[in-house]
Amino acid sequence: TPFKALESLSVDLSGFPACRFFRVEALIRPWRLARVVEQLNASGIRGMTVSDVKGAGVQGGRRERYGGTEFGGSSDRYLVDKTRMDIVIARGQVDSVVRIIAGAAHTGEIGDGKIFVHPVADIVRIRTGETGAMAERMEGGMEDMTGIRG
Amino acid sequence: MATALAASAALAALPLHPHLCRRSAPPRRTIRLSVIASAQAQPDVAPKVVDRFSAFDRVSVLAEALPYLQRFRGKTIVVKYGGAAMKDESLKARVVSDLVLLSCVGINPVLVHGGGPEINIWLNKLGIEAQFKNGLRVTDAATMDVVEMVLGGRVNKSLVSLIQQAGGAAVGLCGKDSDIIRARQMVEKDIGFVGEVTSVNPSLLQTLVADGYIPVVATVASDGNGQGLNVNADTAAGEIAASLRAEKLILMTDVPGVMRDKDDVSTKFASLSIRECKELEDEGIIAGGMIPKVACCIRSLSQGVGATHIIDGRAPHSLLLELTTTDGVGTMITG
Repeated sequence: TPFKALESLSVDLSGFPACRFFRVEALIRPWRLARVVEQLNASGIRGMTVSDVKGAGVQGGRRERYGGTEFGGSSDRYLVDKTRMDIVIARGQVDSVVRIIAGAAHTGEIGDGKIFVHPVADIVRIRTGETGAMAERMEGGMEDMTGIRG
Repeated sequence: MATALAASAALAALPLHPHLCRRSAPPRRTIRLSVIASAQAQPDVAPKVVDRFSAFDRVSVLAEALPYLQRFRGKTIVVKYGGAAMKDESLKARVVSDLVLLSCVGINPVLVHGGGPEINIWLNKLGIEAQFKNGLRVTDAATMDVVEMVLGGRVNKSLVSLIQQAGGAAVGLCGKDSDIIRARQMVEKDIGFVGEVTSVNPSLLQTLVADGYIPVVATVASDGNGQGLNVNADTAAGEIAASLRAEKLILMTDVPGVMRDKDDVSTKFASLSIRECKELEDEGIIAGGMIPKVACCIRSLSQGVGATHIIDGRAPHSLLLELTTTDGVGTMITG
């Protein structure tokens, strides 16, 4: 089963050796959002941005099902509703965050989504003017709760 | 559990107020639900419970069902009806009274049904030999005609009329009506006019549900070119539930649910996650006819259905028990 693979996921960040922050971009099924957010929250991930998007991910001739209907086969039914989550975190937290999202979004059916990991140069908290690690850190967040440091 | 049983019995035995039954244009006919429930229920179950409790007890138990009724109020529940519960007239009446009750308390049931045994009876009467290929019924043109007539005509309308008799307002449809179910012929399987659902158009069902009707859908699908296709009723129910973003999909079967030991009811799983289902399948515990049922549940869960239930259609008031008790009577599968 893919569950074990998801639990032991490890993201390859070696292409960006000096980068301290990364943006995890997850494209998931909209009705899985609440569950993903809940599990992220439980591990202290408190900063995220969510948007409604549409997308396609057609592999071979296989079709995704949405609302009782097959998608991907014809041009009039191609783009499917998805939710995008953007989470910027410190380097050391990337694996845990990706595992939480993948585990909570997984159903095993075509259309479960994708996760991309992007490098982030810097972070600014607008209210205080803090930058870098100070701006990334959330009080009572993942580092405080689980000890997983950035 | 005893309280829950009593609650279900009390709910089922309660005479329904006609104005609660339909939100628009309350029907003027008298409501006969209570009569049916008590007259056709198994003698060792319903009457006993009703006798055992005083009127005050019954009302108290009814009041206890409030949180459950509130939780599902306004929510859509798709029920796939089939198997033994369909053959036995008294079970049929009980399922129907449960459905009408749900509808009366503001929950929106949608009934989806198959009817294999009834089809066999009529094929037999017409002298058409049933053919099977790899365990699947080969539906040639003549068989398809019978399937359509029996499901859409006889089975569908008998359910509609039972619901009407119980004081509900049912509308019988087949998948062809307003293209509720579109399918493509599974040519690759070479078993004739058997279809795989390609799309569901829920607008007609939504209209009916919004007006307080109980849609009853026979799983004959349109292929878009006038050819009817026979689709699996479990799958069709799952896809209809997905299209309505239903709170629940309930599959009524002839087994108590998913069990670790299929001969021992005490090993029944009350609830399972998708992950647990996959693991049980790997272990060979979910096997045989349970595999497609579980697959159907997972398929609709992945499309946003809140929870799916595999319940024993033969058990009295299994629908109400599953909905109004924490343990339920079948197996609940959640994402």
